[in-house]
Amino acid sequence: MTSAAMIQVRDLVKTYGDKKALNGVSFDARAGEILGLLGPNGAGKSTTMKILTTFLSATSGTVTVDGIDAAANPLAVRAMLGYLPESTPLYSDMVVYDYLLWCGEMRGLARSDVIKRMAEVARVVGLESVIGQVIGTLSKGYKQRVGLAQAMLHNPKILILDEPTSGLDPNQIIEIRNLIRALGQNHTLILSSHNLTEVRQICDRVVIIHQGAVVADGTLDELEGRVASRHHLIVGIQTTATHDNDALKHMLAETPGAKSVAFSHSSQAPVPAAFFEVEADTDIRTALFERIRAAGLTLLELRRKSLDLEGIFQSLTQNA
Amino acid sequence: MKPVWILARREMAATFDSPIAYIAGAVFLIATGLLFFFGLGGTDDFFAAREATVRPLFEYAPWVLAVILPAVTMRLLAEEKRQGTLELLVTLPVTDTQIVLGKLLGAMGFLVVALAMTLVLPALVMSIGHPDVGAILGGYVGLLLIGTTFLALGVMASTWTQNQIVAFIVGMMLCMFFWTATDALLRLVLDQPPPALALLSFQSQFADFARGVVDLRNVLYFLSVTAIAVLASTYSLRSRHWQ
Repeated sequence: MTSAAMIQVRDLVKTYGDKKALNGVSFDARAGEILGLLGPNGAGKSTTMKILTTFLSATSGTVTVDGIDAAANPLAVRAMLGYLPESTPLYSDMVVYDYLLWCGEMRGLARSDVIKRMAEVARVVGLESVIGQVIGTLSKGYKQRVGLAQAMLHNPKILILDEPTSGLDPNQIIEIRNLIRALGQNHTLILSSHNLTEVRQICDRVVIIHQGAVVADGTLDELEGRVASRHHLIVGIQTTATHDNDALKHMLAETPGAKSVAFSHSSQAPVPAAFFEVEADTDIRTALFERIRAAGLTLLELRRKSLDLEGIFQSLTQNA
Repeated sequence: MKPVWILARREMAATFDSPIAYIAGAVFLIATGLLFFFGLGGTDDFFAAREATVRPLFEYAPWVLAVILPAVTMRLLAEEKRQGTLELLVTLPVTDTQIVLGKLLGAMGFLVVALAMTLVLPALVMSIGHPDVGAILGGYVGLLLIGTTFLALGVMASTWTQNQIVAFIVGMMLCMFFWTATDALLRLVLDQPPPALALLSFQSQFADFARGVVDLRNVLYFLSVTAIAVLASTYSLRSRHWQ
């Protein structure tokens, strides 16, 4: 409830017939942050976004955007928003240039301003090479860029992107993610995703929605801290022809602070190695390193196994 | 009202980009042309009648318009719904009413072009005789009005479904119903329908235009029906909020 909250969502309830899609969703998006709406398919992310963008009305609850009640003054709110709906609906029979020009004019921009702004946006999202093409002939990745371009054309305060990378190939995903991160520097941005890696890479803060309710709201570090109290490490040790995995495991287990050690796997390339998972209550990386060196062994790899969002997500959504 | 015009411009371009406009246009011109010259047989025959009048055009054209105009409007909102583009359209800073009016105005572009192409008929009649020019103008005003009303009914049907074929059939049935059935139905129920009720029929409202008389009451009638259809379309778009 800080004064910097650009978007305030309070107690949103949305019912479709008998089905409750949202059951009291509340969260804030602060000015200038990238907020991830995370949840399994059907959790209510898209419904929340459709209400935020005034496409749908909530059964009850309020959305306030920059101090303006979205239900009472939808046009003022829409003017502040850029929106990319799920699966990027576009007029496939239009040329990219004409489409963007049309979007800009529909938003009340003067033609000359749209053309100027379009050149800038096309450069940012990488549309310059296809600006004269018919949208229907573009690849999914380029269509996504057109969708992003129309959302940011009028330089809105807020961007709302519903599953912006779904259906893209890995290279396109990386490009679009980079683009979104860059956009997040001058916009308040809300994106939805069921992809945890994506949220980790892009978002400052995460709201996890499950079965129409918020089950977690915080930075990734906070959420990880809630679920992961233990340090979970992956240790890789170079092995010889005569090595004994049990002996190595035993040796690691003697490290002060280590609670449990489990053999994970071995590999041969590029050098023969054995991998173990070590759990501890505190950060024992230094101690582990010293221990391995004292044993005359070569440490190949030492990293924290991120009790990743997958883990957080599962524990939050399964208990909820 | 600027967004209405910007939307209408896009719709006009989209209409003339699609083969539907050309098929509908061709059907309209061929059908009205044949009916104008040969009628439905007998005394309607232009060559047999030997009279310099354009009146048969105004008598037959609404029948053809009632069939082809719903084919032009069927796409307008049904396609937006099917493709999901409606979500982007209605979250632009424009009102639902502006969207409906823009769609209607865009479809009127087709109507104006189609009617303009029939001007060859009065030109022909004027070249061989002396028809009443006032009557011709009145008739065209009437066609423009009844055509706009048909378009508004078609747009309304298009807001009800995401299937263009359904939108077409429902639109055509609405147009045909208002054009033909109101009179017939009234006669079916009442032996002598009161004149006030008979006024509700498109045919009786259009009859004066076909005679070349532009009566303000008839003009207001068609504008009112158009306004009701626009309101109903707006309501239908808005119904997404409480579904």
